[in-house]
Amino acid sequence: MANTGVIVKKEIGSLLNEKTLLLAIIVQLLIASFSSLIVIGLASFFDPSSLSKYDSPRADVGIVGQGELARFIKDSQVNPHYYADIVSARSDFDNNKIDAIVVIPDEDPGGKEIINLVIYLPKSDIRGTFVTLQLKKPLEEYEGYVRDMRGQRIGFEPIRLYVDNIPEKTSTYFEFIYGILIPLLVFTPVFISGGLIIDMLTEEYERKTMDLLLVSPVSFSQIVNGKMITAIIIVPAQAFLWLLLLRLNGVIVYNIGFILLLCAIIAAIVVILGAIIAIRYKKRMISQYLYSLVLILMFLVGYIFTNSPFNLVTRLGANSIGAEVLVYCGGYAAVAIGLYAGMVRFQISGSD
Amino acid sequence: MSRILTVARWELRRTKSSFSLKTRFLSFIILILIGMSSFFAAQSGLHINDNIYRIAVTDPSLARVLESDDKFEVHVAGDSNAKSLFENEGFDILINGAQISYHDTDKSLSALDAIDKAIKGYDEARLLSYNDLNNTFPVWITIKNIAREQAFHTPSINTLPQIEKSHVKSTASPEAQKQGIEKIPEKPSGNTPSIKEITEIKKVSLISGQSLATPSHFDPPVPFKSVVLSFIFIFPIYFIAQFFSSSIMDERIKRKGELLLVSPVNAYQIVLGKLLPYLLGSMALVAIMTLNLGGSPWIILIMLPVSLMFLSTSFLGAIIARSFKELSFVLIFLSVFLSGYIFFPAMFANIHAISIISPITLVVRLLENEVVSVSDYLFSTTPLYLLSILIFVFGIFIYREEDLFTQKSIKEKLLDSIQEFIKRVPFPLFSLSIALLPLVFSIQLMLIVLMFNFPIRIGIFFFIIVAAFIEELIKSGGIYTVFSRKMADVTTANALKFAVLSGLGFFAGEKLLLLVVVASIAGSAFGSVMGIGLLVFPLLLHVTSTISSSLAIRYLGHREYLACVVIASMVHAAYNLYLVRGVVFG
Repeated sequence: MANTGVIVKKEIGSLLNEKTLLLAIIVQLLIASFSSLIVIGLASFFDPSSLSKYDSPRADVGIVGQGELARFIKDSQVNPHYYADIVSARSDFDNNKIDAIVVIPDEDPGGKEIINLVIYLPKSDIRGTFVTLQLKKPLEEYEGYVRDMRGQRIGFEPIRLYVDNIPEKTSTYFEFIYGILIPLLVFTPVFISGGLIIDMLTEEYERKTMDLLLVSPVSFSQIVNGKMITAIIIVPAQAFLWLLLLRLNGVIVYNIGFILLLCAIIAAIVVILGAIIAIRYKKRMISQYLYSLVLILMFLVGYIFTNSPFNLVTRLGANSIGAEVLVYCGGYAAVAIGLYAGMVRFQISGSD
Repeated sequence: MSRILTVARWELRRTKSSFSLKTRFLSFIILILIGMSSFFAAQSGLHINDNIYRIAVTDPSLARVLESDDKFEVHVAGDSNAKSLFENEGFDILINGAQISYHDTDKSLSALDAIDKAIKGYDEARLLSYNDLNNTFPVWITIKNIAREQAFHTPSINTLPQIEKSHVKSTASPEAQKQGIEKIPEKPSGNTPSIKEITEIKKVSLISGQSLATPSHFDPPVPFKSVVLSFIFIFPIYFIAQFFSSSIMDERIKRKGELLLVSPVNAYQIVLGKLLPYLLGSMALVAIMTLNLGGSPWIILIMLPVSLMFLSTSFLGAIIARSFKELSFVLIFLSVFLSGYIFFPAMFANIHAISIISPITLVVRLLENEVVSVSDYLFSTTPLYLLSILIFVFGIFIYREEDLFTQKSIKEKLLDSIQEFIKRVPFPLFSLSIALLPLVFSIQLMLIVLMFNFPIRIGIFFFIIVAAFIEELIKSGGIYTVFSRKMADVTTANALKFAVLSGLGFFAGEKLLLLVVVASIAGSAFGSVMGIGLLVFPLLLHVTSTISSSLAIRYLGHREYLACVVIASMVHAAYNLYLVRGVVFG
């Protein structure tokens, strides 16, 4: 045990000394900022209500034709301009005076035919995006209006729920922060640690220092355990740092204790897998390659079932699950113990 | 040339031999499993937010509707029980009959929105099952996307003074329209569909494609699918780059490379020879993927600089790292950064012209059957070509015994390569500034993309400061090397001379770049910060700011290098802030 402690101390010392942990933290920072930029940037496009916080200017929209739709557009966020024909509208469109043209056909809302609107938008232009967002609401209202008239014919009755004074609401940010960002931040250290254990072990093999270590009083399993413990314990530490940072940014994460427990258990699984690969293949190139493949597999699998580690962290963080999580933690811990037992047996049979 | 090929053959044989039959078999199995799980994910969707909201419902039929969405954990209870779940057990939503109650928390509001969406989706699926489009989906929109002369900036800065519009002509034909009509999944008529049937329809997305849509599917054209698809092209490049760096690192650790170094083969021949199999391999894999996915063959040409970029950075990483751990971290860092650079802009492919700084945007465009012009190609790939060549050149400079087989720090090795550059190249400080310009340019382009997400004033403000710091760091790097490595006497006259040379070089490089890349960003507020567009003032600026860092190194000593760069950046940033004062300060 004391020998394992010596190895742990040595490995942590070298990690701190090489300042590589600093790079790992920068990597996480990059991942966090990229993903939040992408999602907040894009999600707000799909979710006009979240954009309304900003004082976006009213888009200028040309309207050709008459009808109920014109009324809905007039009541919405956009500035309507009326044109007699498409030619005059196109000329203003091409001169950047208006950002979209809506052509309303003569079809009657109460009629039988499909109402086919034509909308002209500027291509690859951020203004087209803004107009799209602002036009969506009146178009949906219009669809509802027409559907109410026609739906009765086929006996369709929409589900209606009631709520007192409808609040400003959006699920985009909440689901992104708890569903994507927090699991990503918690599990990136796990994936990095798996690569780390491979580097620690294969380096000893490739530099031929493993033989030197083995003639010292430490045993092979003590060396491996020491390195694995190092790789595992830095995971909850990094994850905690991230959750703390989120807290400073005003994101409240619940059940931090359970989250750290879960990510330590998953780290144990990933690190033991990494160690098995490294001991089996001994070369960094092959080990890292196989580990990357396994990692991709685990990542995909983590997304396709309920109660996967990702999903559990999401629910823990959002306070949608409490102490019941210990059941799942126990399950994952059993996987880790099983893997470790397998590794110990495998070492005895294949240690040379 | 024949020597390069010989080295290439050795390298190929070595890599091949490390993959035993067992390893290949194992990776084949894992790949199949990956394929199976991605197929499964595509079929059943991602279960990320499963059971995230807890809802108490009194009406069992409503509960069944909500349960069709995995996000909800639905509890059916009587009036008072449901109420106590909502009030005491932390449930997010209570639906009593048809009456919804919510808490005033982010989570509860978000649950409300999710219910709204789920009900809408359920109703649409139910409507669809009537198989009577005229009465159920009466409104359709045909979208015509028309290219027109485009203003560079977002609408929000149009109201601000002092920014003139750029005159970028879109290259696509003015009447380019897209009009594909998507098939709507048809269902055999059955008047009262079961819930299971409905949820099955819902999982198959109703209407995809942008050209024809119903109002609820009328969304901005985010090419999410194409971006995910283009990720497949990058995939083999990641692995090949990892092999390349492993191979270089391996030789350093086992000191096998020493034998090659003493042979008559040059450092550059060794490096090119080693590079060749990996470059060809990655391009071959990209070609296979392109053919299989039915993409345009031009994709291969677009991916070439991307592959070069990944290979060059992993080469440099393998040379400067002291241990496997360091190599891993350096590589993870570089690939995350590079992936951000190439994928992030691609998400905005149909939204903003600036997105073509990334080659992946061009791939996305080709995948969406759009036109890519030669100038688009030059604009997005020139920085990557220049940068990867530069990285290889600097790497080859330190591909020698004293750097490969010693435990020098990363900074010392980088300084070594700059020192070699100064020794070998004519007009070293002038040329160094020019040579490093692609690096500055790429980092600044990356910064622009990041800054677009902040409010415009804050974005420009930060951009100016960070951009100035990067430029000053690059311009004074050579001077720092000369003084700290004692390549010249530390005198005021020398400091001035070097500063003028380096500043001039940077200015010349900037103008040269302007000629190569017909920068569509010139004329926007960001462009003028990058110094494109003016002549005399940028020249004065580059020389003055470099003089300030150079003199600072002279008098404060090279140990205070960071402080010297900060001083120069302050001078630089102050000038640029003055230039765009209208935008930043209103």
